[in-house]
Amino acid sequence: MYFFDTLPTHMDYDGQRKAEKLSRIIITLFGVVGLIWGYIIQQFSQTVYILFAGFVLAALVTVPPWPMYRRKPLQWQKPRPECDGTESVMKSKKKK
Amino acid sequence: MHSVLTRGNAILAYSLSVLAVLTFVCFISTVFIDYRTNATMNTVKVVVKNVADYSASREKNDLGFLTFDLQTDLTHLFNWNVKQLFLYLTAEYSTPNNQLNQVVLWDKIIQRGENAVLDFKNMNTKYYFWDDGNGLRGNQNVTLTLSWNIIPNAGLLPSIFALGSHAFRFPVEYTTARV
Repeated sequence: MYFFDTLPTHMDYDGQRKAEKLSRIIITLFGVVGLIWGYIIQQFSQTVYILFAGFVLAALVTVPPWPMYRRKPLQWQKPRPECDGTESVMKSKKKK
Repeated sequence: MHSVLTRGNAILAYSLSVLAVLTFVCFISTVFIDYRTNATMNTVKVVVKNVADYSASREKNDLGFLTFDLQTDLTHLFNWNVKQLFLYLTAEYSTPNNQLNQVVLWDKIIQRGENAVLDFKNMNTKYYFWDDGNGLRGNQNVTLTLSWNIIPNAGLLPSIFALGSHAFRFPVEYTTARV
């Protein structure tokens, strides 16, 4: 079970925005293509299958937190030592 | 979009919304199509008997027997929003009892991909042609019409009347022999 805990599940804010945009684009594109193809061959079932393929692709590409969605982590400020009153930090400061 | 579950939920919801839109486009693309077409029909043998209707009042009612020819080509009615056609052949006539009588004599389901070019000769009816009294013998104007329901993927369930009908008359004497 430790293996699963080591898996990264985080997406940064920019990655979340990209994931949502990408999933919308993929599903819309497959839907439009499926509609056109289904109309050409007059089979609405093919439209539904193509849309489903787009759903699967979008799920594979945007649901797991791939490394491409973790490229812009938030730049947190360094903790300011003066405001920090906890003992452990004080101790580490003393050691330095 | 911060976790796997919320992203999965979002794309599933969006896919279903897109599916609803596509289905609506499919409905809109076929709702204005004129599904009427020509059908020719003819009666071959027409007799009428006077027998007890045990399924109803046990009184003696008129029972018509007929065989018919039917030719029509429904292939062009099928499109991406038609799953099957339900054809039915109706006899319409008026009697002293009722202004309008409608009796379904025969029906057929044609699914997508099946042969939709119909050419029947001397077909028997599937259902009994009962009158609710004695209105069939000598009836001078009985009209056969063909109609169909279109069973769609999405949208309306229209009932279409074929162009073309056939009027015939029943004999003035009851037939007593077995038919």
